[in-house]
Amino acid sequence: MSSEYRQARYDEDLLIERGEDGEIEDNPLPNDLKREKTVGIPDLPKHEVVRYFNRLSQMNYGIDTGLYPLGSCTMKYNPKYTEEIASHPKATRIHPYQPEETVQGTLEIMYELQELLAELGGMDSVTLQPAAGAHGEITGLMIVDQYHKDDGEDRNEVILPDTAHGTNPASVSMMGYDLVEIPSKDGCMDVEALEEAAGEDTAAFMITNPNTLGLFEKDACRIAEIIHEAGGLLYYDGANLNAIMGKTDPGAMNFDIMHFNLHKTFSTPHGGGGPGAGPVGVTEELASYLPVPVVEKDEERYYLDYDLENSIGRVKGIYGNWLVLLKAYAYIKKKGKDGLEEVTERAVLNSNYLRKKLQPHLDLPYRELRKHEFVMSGKKMKDKGLKTTDLAKRLLDYGFHAPTIYFPQLVDEALMIEPTETETKEALDGFAEAVASIMQEDEEILAEAPHNTAVRRVDETKAIRDSVLSYKMRDE
Amino acid sequence: MSTEDEMLDFLGLDEKDELFEDIPDMIRTDLDIPEGLSEKELMVEVKNKLEKNKNLDGLVSFLGGGIYDHYVPAAVGEIIGRSEFYTSYTPYQAEISQGMLQALFEYQSLIAELTGLGAVNTSMYDYPTALAEAVLMSRRIQRKGGKFLIPENIHWDKNPVLDNYLRGSDIEIEFIGFEEDGSIDRDELRSKLDEDTLGFYVETPNVFGALEEDLDAFKSMKEENDCLLVVGIEPILLSLMRPPSDWGSDIAIGESQPLGIPPSYGGPTVGIFASDEDYIRKMPGRIIGETEDSEGKRAYCMTLQTREQHIRRERATSNICTNQSLMALASAAYTYLKGGRGLEDIAKENHKKSHEVAQRINEIDGFEAPYLDSEFYNEFTVKTPIDSAELVEKCCERGVLPGIAVNKIDKFDSLPDVLLVAVTEMNTDEEIDLLIETLKEVIG
Repeated sequence: MSSEYRQARYDEDLLIERGEDGEIEDNPLPNDLKREKTVGIPDLPKHEVVRYFNRLSQMNYGIDTGLYPLGSCTMKYNPKYTEEIASHPKATRIHPYQPEETVQGTLEIMYELQELLAELGGMDSVTLQPAAGAHGEITGLMIVDQYHKDDGEDRNEVILPDTAHGTNPASVSMMGYDLVEIPSKDGCMDVEALEEAAGEDTAAFMITNPNTLGLFEKDACRIAEIIHEAGGLLYYDGANLNAIMGKTDPGAMNFDIMHFNLHKTFSTPHGGGGPGAGPVGVTEELASYLPVPVVEKDEERYYLDYDLENSIGRVKGIYGNWLVLLKAYAYIKKKGKDGLEEVTERAVLNSNYLRKKLQPHLDLPYRELRKHEFVMSGKKMKDKGLKTTDLAKRLLDYGFHAPTIYFPQLVDEALMIEPTETETKEALDGFAEAVASIMQEDEEILAEAPHNTAVRRVDETKAIRDSVLSYKMRDE
Repeated sequence: MSTEDEMLDFLGLDEKDELFEDIPDMIRTDLDIPEGLSEKELMVEVKNKLEKNKNLDGLVSFLGGGIYDHYVPAAVGEIIGRSEFYTSYTPYQAEISQGMLQALFEYQSLIAELTGLGAVNTSMYDYPTALAEAVLMSRRIQRKGGKFLIPENIHWDKNPVLDNYLRGSDIEIEFIGFEEDGSIDRDELRSKLDEDTLGFYVETPNVFGALEEDLDAFKSMKEENDCLLVVGIEPILLSLMRPPSDWGSDIAIGESQPLGIPPSYGGPTVGIFASDEDYIRKMPGRIIGETEDSEGKRAYCMTLQTREQHIRRERATSNICTNQSLMALASAAYTYLKGGRGLEDIAKENHKKSHEVAQRINEIDGFEAPYLDSEFYNEFTVKTPIDSAELVEKCCERGVLPGIAVNKIDKFDSLPDVLLVAVTEMNTDEEIDLLIETLKEVIG
């Protein structure tokens, strides 16, 4: 695409603005429970509602619109067969408290998915309950907590590298642990610093590998030894699994607990923020700590097993985001062994290809060979008196979504780029050409970008200052 | 030369495996899973598995317990099926994501309208995790006091979720029992409220479908003890019922599944989370705010992001990142398709039908309905003359799912044989007749 890209631009007032107060007729509730006035939700012809949301959708950019290289988000094409399967009435119109005999198909799929994920992660047992990656993280830390408690140990520290995703430190403090951050050296974790940090207070260590710079942590094996010698457990953040499937796995790296981001690696659509699913895998030693229920089978049937000796209980209501699980299951079955290995290879090839294409235009800190993503610095923008944000906003004008920006924090003016395996060479060339062209453009065009989207540069400071979080708050 | 070879050539590499030379040999693995399928083969295989399920179209179901079978208009699926919506990421780049941002702002506005609380986030994972996040948020607002009071009459999944979420917190949970009519034990609540109390939770309708009355008393209790009040609600019923803001609620939570989301074996759904406007900086999760673009045109963006993990890291209000946004969009689409009067009509129909069913069950010898006999909306308890699990099993053999044997759940094992029965607009007169006949048959 070129700067000829134009996003639809409608002036759409909110539907809620059209709501009116009225009297509720024949309210069956007891008098003191009755609402005084009707809710201010308008009654509109159905086709007007459909048109409104369709117009809104035209002011939204998805992976079905074009390249969406958000680093660490794995925005790959979402195959349509998964949508058809997940809209099957025998998937959507089943109730969680139906007898197990009436949901054998679902339980079979969940069981198989547990097995497939266990193999993909090199783990022994899997829970499908967590709803997202960050949810998987706290599930893992709950298991860590229970495991040490049962061992009679009081360990209060979790160690992370400074390149960790924001969810990692947030999960650590949410679970009440003290955070110990290990600095990076040449883009990888400083193992000597880890040796010093690990000790009797170490409850766990969390990392994603390849790390958020897209570098494979070369000392992965040594890291596991250090933590295990200290008596801690190793947690693998599966956000970057798309880089290693079929090449290595967290089990091989001697990790004890991990989560999978089904909405990243296994291609379930991200839905503008969710729903996702963050199943957690563990080694045999920790299998009895998983949340309940897990799906088991005996000779005749599949069933929900609530009988795990040390189970932490529950992390979510019911069984997990079933329709998301179903889509990921379909994706894994469709791809199979060779298909998933090809996914990894092409994702890493695309990433390195685009990295080299962009090197003449942007700075690349650390070594060259990356996995599925890479981080560049937009500090050249500073020469123009501009920032990485301006480059990102201008990319929108060319019909591309911007990369993740300003993360990881240890890279100045960071651009974190993950093209995924589903982009063609031509699409990557187009993106690289856009960056090349933008770096030559006038400061004014860049500072005022974007020009071609539904709205121009959005005032995020005003949004914070005014804090209008609903129509109700608009005039208050 | 193939495209991939061209790309390798550009990188100065001979083969793809060189891209993985940084992974040490000692940790290299092979995948041991079956080979892939064609799309046609896949469709047949997965659909054959799904066909082993019986769904709510083939069963006569009165199951509730937090997930309700309401009619979902076809247009909801069409709207959330727009791939510009469902294939987008969290809207980090506001200018190119206005559609989703505005749609989520509509969702926040609808929940604000229903609950009366102006600050709403775009979703939590579900109702139980929304409760856990509400208790954690209460601690951020209110530093005094170490104890949070939770009633026993809440769904059985909520307790273990809450226990787990509070592992890292200094909050102590104390439980409040319930009256013979299913409502919260107010005397016990009053006696446990003291200056060490951080907050308390009231749910209406609660796990038994029971509605609390004299709502203003909760407001007084909250004010007298200078603590926080978290309220659990049902969104469709709120079209008829006093909003929680009216009776002192600081945080309101609930399950948005009744608003346009199919039962889906329990997920994905949406945890509703709304708060008093004074506490916006303490809220968990993504929040969309209204603002302007550089030309003064109204625009939307994610706001107050300094609360969030991707900026604030270990000092974030919550670790939540991926949420349930598309399901929140489904709820917004559903609510506008139904309209305010449409919601009222559904609420009235649910209320009427469930009361008729309760009365008819009550007329069968040996049954008592509602057993916990407070006011209710679309779910109620039934005391059964035989073992409740046995009754469920016998009904199932006849294709009827009469409800949940709630006394078989550990938490409620002190109850006699009791069934939890939900009735929605989806239950036809024929189905209701069949339920009544079946209940008579299986005890006879």
